[in-house]
Amino acid sequence: MTQIWLGLFSGIAFGFVIQRIGATDAHRMARSHLMLDADIPRFMVLAVALSAVGLFGLQSVGVGRTLPLPTSIVATGLAAIIFGIGWGLTGYCPGTTWAAAGEGRMDAVFALLGGLAGAALFAQLHETLIPVLYDPTNVGQITLTDLFGNHAAAVAVLVIVFSLCIWGIGRLWGPSEGVLAFERKPDSETPSENAGKNG
Amino acid sequence: MENRNIHCSPYWHWVPAAFALSGIILFIFATYGPPASSSGFVSTLKGFFEWAAPEYAAAKAHYKSIPGPGSWLFTFALGMAIGGFVAGRTSKDIPVRDVPRIWEKRFGTGRTKRYAATFFGGFLILFGSRLAGGCTLGLFISGSTQLAVSGLYFGVVIFAAAMLTARLIFGKTAEQEDIQ
Repeated sequence: MTQIWLGLFSGIAFGFVIQRIGATDAHRMARSHLMLDADIPRFMVLAVALSAVGLFGLQSVGVGRTLPLPTSIVATGLAAIIFGIGWGLTGYCPGTTWAAAGEGRMDAVFALLGGLAGAALFAQLHETLIPVLYDPTNVGQITLTDLFGNHAAAVAVLVIVFSLCIWGIGRLWGPSEGVLAFERKPDSETPSENAGKNG
Repeated sequence: MENRNIHCSPYWHWVPAAFALSGIILFIFATYGPPASSSGFVSTLKGFFEWAAPEYAAAKAHYKSIPGPGSWLFTFALGMAIGGFVAGRTSKDIPVRDVPRIWEKRFGTGRTKRYAATFFGGFLILFGSRLAGGCTLGLFISGSTQLAVSGLYFGVVIFAAAMLTARLIFGKTAEQEDIQ
């Protein structure tokens, strides 16, 4: 019972934050993918780096449950390509779909329905596809700790690589926040349009 | 608040937002385990099939592997919808549209086309997520936080595929008009 309330509370907090960064806005997501807006990619990468450091801290005092998923060279890669095509087309990923649907975006409601259909088809085909695509190239639950031999060293490597990614995204992705913020002004001047959509 | 109004951006700055999100992620690791959101879809379906076709739900490996609606995974997904709702209602500045502007510029204002595309796209992201065992959150974010190679590998490929897809679909539009 406690788990149900913890899940609900965590979900509300998570959904709130991803709406505030603009990850539930498919337009902003498309701009991120087109390398015109660096905020969301940098937000995601920084959040992971901070979480990895935090989780290292939690684990060192014996708190938290971890369960790294196995890597299947074929299935994980193929799944990522299918996923990426859907993400680039819609601007939604499974988590943002729930939050964007809650926010009142009708296209996200259809993404959610399509998602249910996709998950249902996969569940139907699970017994057929997993032995063919997943199992043959499954290399197990490998982590950077296995590669670098030491948890602290692995966290350090991840933080360094992710910091370089954040720097690189900032350099390669389009206009800075100041410019974007200025350009975004017309949006906030059309509350009547939004009110109409919500009603 | 004053500072944000001067800049006119309705969004949070990415650095404090990332600190907030990682705080939530760590809270989840401490109180539950690795966060996931595509599992919420399976949980929803499991609940439906347990009601509509109990034998089918009991026979399929995928439904056996994920708990039904009375679970953390389901209430987390439900909570995300509530969080999105609350956040949308408490922000006057972030526009809520049924068809994104960049889509309108590229394909027109027709809703049917956009809804058909997001249905198809939603189908792809969940089919892919279930094949890999997780999504942006359940595999890339929670996997990489645990230093899992699967999460890092999935993360690199989804970004590359999404960037290429977005470029093929919206690239010309974004070049011709300065899409904000």
